[in-house]
Amino acid sequence: MSSATSTRRRAPRLRTATAVALAGVVLAGCGSAASGASPAPAAATSTDATTSAAPAATGPAGEAVVAVAVTDAGGCVATPDTVPAGAVTFNVTNVDAVGVSEVELLSDQRIRGERENLAPGFDATFTATLDGGSYELYCPGASTDRTPFTVTGEAAVSSGDTAALLQQATVDYADYIDSQVGFLTEAVAALQTAIDAGDLTAAQNAYAAARPYYERIEPVAESFGDLDPAIDLRIGDVGDPAAWTGFHPIEQLLFEGGTTVGAEKLAATLVTDIGELQSRTAELSANTRADAADGDRYLVDEVANGAVALLGEVQASKITGEEEFYSKIDLLDFQANVEGSLQAFAALKPALNEIDPALVTDVGTRFDTLLALLDTHRDPAAVGGFTLYDDLTDAQITELSNALSTVIEPLSVVPSKIATA
Amino acid sequence: MTSEHGTPTPAAGPEPTGCPVGHPAGGGGTAGGASDPRRASRRRFLGGAALTAAGAAAGVAASTALRGPSPVATAAPLTLADLDALRAQATVPFYGEHQAGITTAQQDRLMFASFDLVTGDPVAVAHLLGTWAAMAARFTAGQPVRSGDVRPEQPPPDTGEASDLGPYSLTVTVGFGPGMFDERFGLAAKMPAALRPLDQLPGDSVLRPEISGGDLCVQACADDPQVVFHAIRNFARAARGVATMRWSQLGFGRASSTGAGQSTPRNLFGFKDGTNNIHADDTAATAAHVWVDASTDQPWMVGGSYLVARKIRMEIQSWDAAPLADQERTFGRVKTTGAPLSGGTEFTPLDLAAVAGTGSGPAIDVAAHARLASPEENGGVRMLRRGYNYTDGQDSRTGLLDAGLFFICFQRDAHEQFSVVQTRLGSSDLMNEYVAHVSSALFAVPPGLTGPGDWYGKALFDL
Repeated sequence: MSSATSTRRRAPRLRTATAVALAGVVLAGCGSAASGASPAPAAATSTDATTSAAPAATGPAGEAVVAVAVTDAGGCVATPDTVPAGAVTFNVTNVDAVGVSEVELLSDQRIRGERENLAPGFDATFTATLDGGSYELYCPGASTDRTPFTVTGEAAVSSGDTAALLQQATVDYADYIDSQVGFLTEAVAALQTAIDAGDLTAAQNAYAAARPYYERIEPVAESFGDLDPAIDLRIGDVGDPAAWTGFHPIEQLLFEGGTTVGAEKLAATLVTDIGELQSRTAELSANTRADAADGDRYLVDEVANGAVALLGEVQASKITGEEEFYSKIDLLDFQANVEGSLQAFAALKPALNEIDPALVTDVGTRFDTLLALLDTHRDPAAVGGFTLYDDLTDAQITELSNALSTVIEPLSVVPSKIATA
Repeated sequence: MTSEHGTPTPAAGPEPTGCPVGHPAGGGGTAGGASDPRRASRRRFLGGAALTAAGAAAGVAASTALRGPSPVATAAPLTLADLDALRAQATVPFYGEHQAGITTAQQDRLMFASFDLVTGDPVAVAHLLGTWAAMAARFTAGQPVRSGDVRPEQPPPDTGEASDLGPYSLTVTVGFGPGMFDERFGLAAKMPAALRPLDQLPGDSVLRPEISGGDLCVQACADDPQVVFHAIRNFARAARGVATMRWSQLGFGRASSTGAGQSTPRNLFGFKDGTNNIHADDTAATAAHVWVDASTDQPWMVGGSYLVARKIRMEIQSWDAAPLADQERTFGRVKTTGAPLSGGTEFTPLDLAAVAGTGSGPAIDVAAHARLASPEENGGVRMLRRGYNYTDGQDSRTGLLDAGLFFICFQRDAHEQFSVVQTRLGSSDLMNEYVAHVSSALFAVPPGLTGPGDWYGKALFDL
């Protein structure tokens, strides 16, 4: 794998903003700072058909099955609510909860498995391999939206072994990337369908639905120096406008041009490129889970730097309203970058808790504050679900920027903490 | 114009037909049947619906009084407040073999809405139908969109205008237009033959396409106008990005009776209309004429029905200038009592062979509305009518009242039932001088929902 920085064709302006962070996202060819211990893999694996990149769960025999009923009256109820460690399949049914459309399995802010598109009357399934500990089932929008869930038995990674915890962080991050790329694959397929059908409203909504999955994994996507420019370049960064591909020329047609005509080929190319992204991330994940000595894999320092890089992305292009120039859905990208950063940080948390627990608390609190501020800008009526960028006041932009800086400051310490652990 | 409890027009005849408040004992203790319309005036409050949450002592007493054979003899006299509280809390069961709002005793208010699907994704459509089903189950039980806390930084999930009201016997009925089965959603093979568009009928030349048709319809009926508006408004809100409202209609003062226990209401011409309507308790008639059975080409429609909506503008000022004799000749009935011009009382069968007292021609004109609409004149065809009066105010161009009948009917096959009757009416009815059909729509109404988790058309989508 070549160095990402040497092949990146993103405009210098952006590269300057993120170069330092991205240097850590380079996918090294071999070796691992955390390869000393080789704990049993504990993969959170989506069984969603489209996330075929994820390998089968490798838990002990006798997979546990948990029924999760989502009702308006009872919230999000798991039966049983305690299972032994290992592979666990969650069969989720939204019985009648109008406000609920997704469910997540959380472990200390970390998403261990999730499914979206869960309307009343519909079912969904996901599987995760879980260590002993306390979890939460989170059904946003339910009358009772958080339900405790307990896994008993030995944790696969013994606490206190920082190196092992750091290795586990890369596996957990790989799982997260795989789930997001899986959802992204579905979302761009829906975008292509809407464009091919000539349905402008559906295409605009599908565009907004797809963006967050890409924005959450941006540091990883950017590490593929040929793919990222094909997928996410803006017009100002393209030498030859005729060679402009990816999300943003589609955005221009849909939102500025007010048409789907001419976007068909672009959508097909995007689907192909995302497919390539999925196969490459799947390979990275497989190598990471195997703790392979050979082949590209996620490294713990790139996870840490990625968390910072994502917030750098926000500072560089979302808070300025540049990223979504035509659709004005910059706050949606903003929120997705923050979520992606939070998930990278959360993957590191078990190790960071050994290294510097006060830092974990500090960063976690500041993330909460930032996410709460973003929530105040939600607008269900707007495409993408957030106030359009042009409707923000200068004071609101400043407030968001300040809240962002508040997180970046302590988060930027994390890579060095890990490097010296 | 209309009292909260009453009929749309002040009683035009000597009999109180719609306002039980002033005549709580009007029905007396006679067993009564289809031929005793007065029995209805007392029972109308309950609308044939189950009462819920009548836990308060007053409520229980009122319930007993309303249901008992001799209301006069029971304990405490009811106040208007007692009665309205009962009426507000009345609910119609949501789950069942058939959707409610078809044979349900007709409520006083309607809001009807037609939607166009704006997505190409069948899963998005299915999710909307699942969401609508869950919302309908809640609204008809008097609950808001979602229980639980509302976060201050987000818009409330429920719009709130029905928060302090009761369910008021709300029913929500959802139907699918032909557009559900076009090339967009891969459902073409599931299109029922009976859902093919209606042929142009005599008198259809002034139909307005922008208020006709649609891919989905929602009929909300209740005994309170704000309750039906709330239901439609929140359905439209939930549909954002998937479907947009194409047209809608508010209705008042039910213009049909759907139960032997309901009085025959009056339309805006001042006549009792629909005396011979199919009644819900006549299960033989509903089985034969209303519900789709196993003989259908589409098994997912078994237990469903087909809805026709027609907005019929009435030329009220012209009508008001017509002599009473002409008005009665047009209907074939006596204006005050609703009795056929061939004699008897309201529920006396039409004697189509009777000769006028003058000996000059039939008692019921060959082109009278009641004759042309009768099963005898249409090969036995019947349908369940469930129309409402409407007004959209005043036509700003002509200065005339813009008002009429929002006609809704349910049947097994509109081509064999509605079209047959309307073809006859459209070509010959004396009333055509005073009405114009300005909108038309046909929808397949799928069967009822089995319980929480079921949704409209689940068997159709096969997801």
